[in-house]
Amino acid sequence: MSMSHEEATQLELGAARPVLGPRLCAVHVPDLALQRVTRARARTQGAGSGSPAGDEPPLAVIGEGRVVAATPAARASGVRVGDSAVQAEAACAGLVLVPHDAEADRGALEALAEALLALAPAAEVVLPDVLLLDASGARVVARDEPDPEAAIAARAVAIAGELGYRARAVVANGRGPARALARFGAVAPPVPPGRLTAALARLPLQALELPGPVAARLRALGIHDAGALARLPASGLGQRFGEAGVAAWRLARGEDPSPLAPWTPSVLPSEEVELEAPVESAEPLLFALKRLCDRAAARLAGRGLGASRLELVLRLDPAGTARLEIALASPSAAASRWLLVLRERIGMLRLEGAVARARLEVAAASPAPPEQLALADRPEQLAALDTVLARLAARLGADGAFAAEPVDRHRPEAAYRAAPFRASPRRTGGGGGEEDAPPPPRPTRLLAAPLPLVAEGEGGRLTAVRLEGRAFPVAALSPPERLAGEWWDRPFDREYRRARLDGLGDCWIFRDVATGRLWLHGFFD
Amino acid sequence: MPAVRPACEVREVIQELRERIQRIERRPVRSDRVVASGWVEVDGLLGGGFPRGALAEIVGTPGSGKTALALSAAARATAEGALAAFVDARGELYAPAAAALGVDLERLLIVRPPAPAVRGSARARELAPAVRDALWAAEALLGSGAFAVVAVDAPLAAGARAGAGGASAEAMLRRLQGAAEKGGAAGLWLGEPGSCRAPAAVRLEVAAGAEGPVVRRGGPDTGAYVDVA
Repeated sequence: MSMSHEEATQLELGAARPVLGPRLCAVHVPDLALQRVTRARARTQGAGSGSPAGDEPPLAVIGEGRVVAATPAARASGVRVGDSAVQAEAACAGLVLVPHDAEADRGALEALAEALLALAPAAEVVLPDVLLLDASGARVVARDEPDPEAAIAARAVAIAGELGYRARAVVANGRGPARALARFGAVAPPVPPGRLTAALARLPLQALELPGPVAARLRALGIHDAGALARLPASGLGQRFGEAGVAAWRLARGEDPSPLAPWTPSVLPSEEVELEAPVESAEPLLFALKRLCDRAAARLAGRGLGASRLELVLRLDPAGTARLEIALASPSAAASRWLLVLRERIGMLRLEGAVARARLEVAAASPAPPEQLALADRPEQLAALDTVLARLAARLGADGAFAAEPVDRHRPEAAYRAAPFRASPRRTGGGGGEEDAPPPPRPTRLLAAPLPLVAEGEGGRLTAVRLEGRAFPVAALSPPERLAGEWWDRPFDREYRRARLDGLGDCWIFRDVATGRLWLHGFFD
Repeated sequence: MPAVRPACEVREVIQELRERIQRIERRPVRSDRVVASGWVEVDGLLGGGFPRGALAEIVGTPGSGKTALALSAAARATAEGALAAFVDARGELYAPAAAALGVDLERLLIVRPPAPAVRGSARARELAPAVRDALWAAEALLGSGAFAVVAVDAPLAAGARAGAGGASAEAMLRRLQGAAEKGGAAGLWLGEPGSCRAPAAVRLEVAAGAEGPVVRRGGPDTGAYVDVA
């Protein structure tokens, strides 16, 4: 697989002008497996206090019988990555061994990618521990910052921190170079395109993730870092290693024009925590839930979504599960608003046991409008609304408070239905130019069950009605309005009139055409 | 020793603060002291509308038009982007009529206890669970600060109690007044003649007239009334 002289010449010419890839922010989560496991072991004592690192039990993650990661406490006791499980346990008394779960690691990385989408239009998940963000729009996202790219990298690290992960980020050109610098480089400001080759030069060959045979042959030749590889003559590499060698050489110089492979989140976020000890009171539970809210909200915000419905699943000790469904007044990705509602609901909860595990699921989400536009420019009212709706739902049930939604039905009692109350953004501009015909009069109160009336009249004219034995003279009567239909199900045929009854006021009465009987159906109160 | 700012910088800060204050002052005051009823004559009687941060009592027979008056105020509030609530202990509020009166149904929260109070229970000496729930909900809504108007329709007899030794109806209504003060909402208590009187800042009596509702400002010292046909 040797190269022609012409190709080799082109390579030498190309050496002067590296073909750089897109501007990317690579976020590396070192020891992801370990961080994920330790993050899940939430501490619930002393809300907000945190625990000194020394309290953490020594822990190691085991994959295929070997230690793949270990906590500082475990390492201090002599546990090394690569040790067998038996060796590790022998080295450290009380060592907690946790099996490696690659799928869970992927889920954790994707959850982080979700949150980081708040910073970039696209993100790529590179297993096992790197995320690549499209940083081409940094000047737009962080336009007020003196160094937008550095700000994006710092914000990415901060978001990871909010989600419970220690990460480092670097901005550079190209997928491979950015990945290599994030994994193996020192924490550094963004690498300008012109300094990429120099920045890579200090990295070990391993950072370039070269194919095994190529890496092995290069090492045999005494090439141990990217700088040494980049200094080799391309033509000679092409002749000895073929295309793979040239690709390695290009990578060492920072050339990787391959485009980002964007990852698209497919499911709504859910976050779970296993409490260190079952909790019986609201405060420690809320402390743990705050973390879940922060994490899930950050993930949702990254997608430009807001939760309109949350579901909280509490696993009880020793057995049993409690579920809470929480509707929000408007889609929100503000963890503080979620927590307000949760606080109300949990405060009124009576559980049959202590809570051992909690899972917060975003059950429904939609594009979140800017919160300040949702309620007459007063976001604090939204929080107040969420709180009072949660209190109402806890006491009256989910159907106790609602918004009425019109339904196109002739049957008066079916002309609207209950819908979740949302503080919809204020409408502006009115309904347009066309004037609709005024709707037929409808009573402000409709009786759940019509009351029978006894008609009294003279010469075919209705002069009074009797309701529950009491007579009410008819002072005025409107022309009839016929409402009929639903022959396929429960047919009805009614002749409605507005009647002014002395002593009762304006009433909505109807004559059932089928039976001829008279009914009181509502009041124009 | 604190750093001394140059005079020009101080002037700039003062100017910026001045402008900021002017901007705040120019903002439309959303929490005006009243919520217009939408009935011009009634607003005239009330001096502009229903007072915010207080309870107003609207009394009338079932077909007098008192609910329409409350819904009209809700319509004005929702049209201005605020929220309104209707606590419907009887389960009788007919939403299509509210919409016809101009209420933005998406901004009207209807609160309906699970087992609505039956008609005629306004004379009951012990509060039905639905009425207790309604009063509790009304207090929560009025005090929340999220609603501009909260209308409450719950049959409540004078002297009724929430169970043996429980709070009296009058005490519960006083709590509503307190909640309205706290939350800044206009509370509209819909009563019927003979039912428990609310400790309201304003009392309106509504009666069905030949040409439409007749509204009278209640209380012994006021004889003003308007015909709202």
